[in-house]
Amino acid sequence: MLFCLGRVQIRVRQLFLSLDRPAQLSNFSAGHTEGLADHEDTIVTLNIDSFPPTLLPGYTDALRSEVKLFIAEQLADLPPHRRARTWAGFDADFSKAMAKRGWVGLTMPKAYGGAGLDPYCRFVLVEELLAAGAPVAAHWIADRQSAPLILHYGTEAQRAFFIPRICRAELFFCIGMSEPNSGSDLASVSARADRVEGGWKLNGQKVWTTYAHKSHYMIALVRTSGSSEDRQHGLSQFLVDLSLPGVTVNPIRLGTGDTDFNEVFFEDVNLPEDALVGTEGNGWAQVNAELAFERSGPERIYSSLVLLDLWAKLLGPDPEPDDAARLGRLIARLAPLREMSVSMTGLIAQGKTPLIEAALFKDLGTELEQQIPAEIADAVAGHPDRASDPEVLRTLAYLMQLNHVFSLRGGTREILRGMIARGLGLR
Amino acid sequence: MKEEAAYLADAFRRVIAGTVTPQAIRIAERSLNREPIWSALAASGFLDALVPEEAGGAGITQDQAFPLILALGEHAVPVPFAETMVARGLLAAGAVQAPEEAAIILAAGSAVQPCAAFADHALVQVEDRLLLTKIEPGGDDIFRLGGTLGIRRGEVLAAIPAEPGILLRAAAAVSAAQMAGAMARMLEMTLRYAGERKQFGKPLGKFQAIQQQLAVMAEQVISAQVAARSAFCGTQFEQARVAAAKCRTNEAAELVCAIAHAVHGAIGVTEEFDLQLYSRRLKQWQLAYGSASFWGEELGRIRVAAASVTSADFIRSHLAYQEQVRQFPKGR
Repeated sequence: MLFCLGRVQIRVRQLFLSLDRPAQLSNFSAGHTEGLADHEDTIVTLNIDSFPPTLLPGYTDALRSEVKLFIAEQLADLPPHRRARTWAGFDADFSKAMAKRGWVGLTMPKAYGGAGLDPYCRFVLVEELLAAGAPVAAHWIADRQSAPLILHYGTEAQRAFFIPRICRAELFFCIGMSEPNSGSDLASVSARADRVEGGWKLNGQKVWTTYAHKSHYMIALVRTSGSSEDRQHGLSQFLVDLSLPGVTVNPIRLGTGDTDFNEVFFEDVNLPEDALVGTEGNGWAQVNAELAFERSGPERIYSSLVLLDLWAKLLGPDPEPDDAARLGRLIARLAPLREMSVSMTGLIAQGKTPLIEAALFKDLGTELEQQIPAEIADAVAGHPDRASDPEVLRTLAYLMQLNHVFSLRGGTREILRGMIARGLGLR
Repeated sequence: MKEEAAYLADAFRRVIAGTVTPQAIRIAERSLNREPIWSALAASGFLDALVPEEAGGAGITQDQAFPLILALGEHAVPVPFAETMVARGLLAAGAVQAPEEAAIILAAGSAVQPCAAFADHALVQVEDRLLLTKIEPGGDDIFRLGGTLGIRRGEVLAAIPAEPGILLRAAAAVSAAQMAGAMARMLEMTLRYAGERKQFGKPLGKFQAIQQQLAVMAEQVISAQVAARSAFCGTQFEQARVAAAKCRTNEAAELVCAIAHAVHGAIGVTEEFDLQLYSRRLKQWQLAYGSASFWGEELGRIRVAAASVTSADFIRSHLAYQEQVRQFPKGR
């Protein structure tokens, strides 16, 4: 491409001719204080170049329109306080209706029953679903993590069996990671699978397993050798059929009356040989490879969007200055986060794994998701003499009670900040 | 196009770094004389970067100018170089060529006029016209950065038709980009200091409490940078983008300055230490061309007036990255 820069181009050429060291694209490539060496010591790997400006391709527009229409038809009667559950809202029929459109396992190859579309399309689909508060929990984990994991690490037989069933919304998955004594310290898991004749014997316990009581399979991270002291060594991932004898799923009732989580017990559960996914002992690396998918998507910024938009609508065309400012400040925080998510979608589409970037995005995003209910609560309760809209209050109540978990699920704030610190060269 | 923009910005950084040393910044702050910095930077040719090629400029697009202005912020450039670059672009759009030597500020409504003491010209908006006037600084230089509380307008040299509000948008966008650059620089300085300074027998950066704060700082810096970048999308400064950018950078600057100074300790505010060169500018920019609340309210009003059903739709249509259409000169 011819790029004529006129005078600047000429100046730039002269500049480069006069340089005595090669061009370097870091953010601060030249000495600022006491010479060049100081600067080259500091490696800031996180900067604006970590999130290149990225355009959603034009071909995603048609999909977006279709999804909007579908949502309008399917969810016309779902009130905002139900929509506020978004990816915690479980509706198997909704997932099946989506699957009929080819929208579950959107990025899976057509050969395995997927739509064969790219990550940009998935971003658009997920963005529309979450912005509308669609109840996507039933197929969420299988779609986001399990199917890509099986496609990447599974055997041909595993792919052929699981992926088409996931794409038809016949098999729902949950993730077995946390244990009673392994929360943020995930590498200390102690549930274990021992080799036995013809397969594996699974024992132990998982907890905080979202929708295990409504899922068909769990992808469990368990120990296949060594003990908790061996940390990430000796961990493996298994496809556990939750209907097998020896599996007990106990729902955990929350203070709100909701039941999203479970504790899951394994007592001498006999797993077939092919329940192992990927390589024995490679579980930690496999789990880490999922994290960029798990942390970079719109679900880390849109969990309170239904509330925000309900409130914004009720403000009417001429809001009071304080309310307008509050709304604008929240949008100003949200907009760069969406840019970052689109950017990471582009990186993932190029086969990159923006792990640290995703940690930074998720920490910032979930903080905003938590801030939105707090700000709106402050706004609607700011006029005790006026009646507030009951639906805003219902939606608010749900989010005010459960927004604490937004920064827990998928890696806690402290763990993420530790990863960012590593990315900054501090550890 | 991306590579070329990076190439340009990289070259420009070298020019700035060679000229605008911390010592040079201090001398400028004391003398309130834009020389020798001005001439050295002006010789780069970048002042006419936004002027179309047929008018003798480089004809770069607004989004290609963003990394250049970011770089000016990264180096705490004390003179109104970014402002003049944008002013020359605005004037060229109205077929006016600014005087060769003019240092021009964007004198939109503002609690303080950054760089006024270093400027001899200003753009002033009167309804749907932009005036290029000679100026003298007026009022106190409250931050001792050469930014005064007002300006005294002199002879009007030119007037061009312009969209109402464009000057405030341009001034806020240019501030947001320089703020984003300054914050990135402060992060780098703070990371370095945390690696060098030892207490309790180890570098500060080895303490988890410090690491967590630096992580938060990095989040704020990147969010501000991405927001500022968005203000430079499109062929002119759009109200929603600028509102989001200035609102976000103003907010982020608060946390970024707080953490940078907390990690540095008292040394950070001393004259001899470079950190304050950046944080004092950030504080001045927070006061200039509209606060977070002002721009938040603007953005909130645009949001409720928009046809968008969800805020995701709104962001997509008003604030998301868009590819720049390069305007080639006629007759090519």
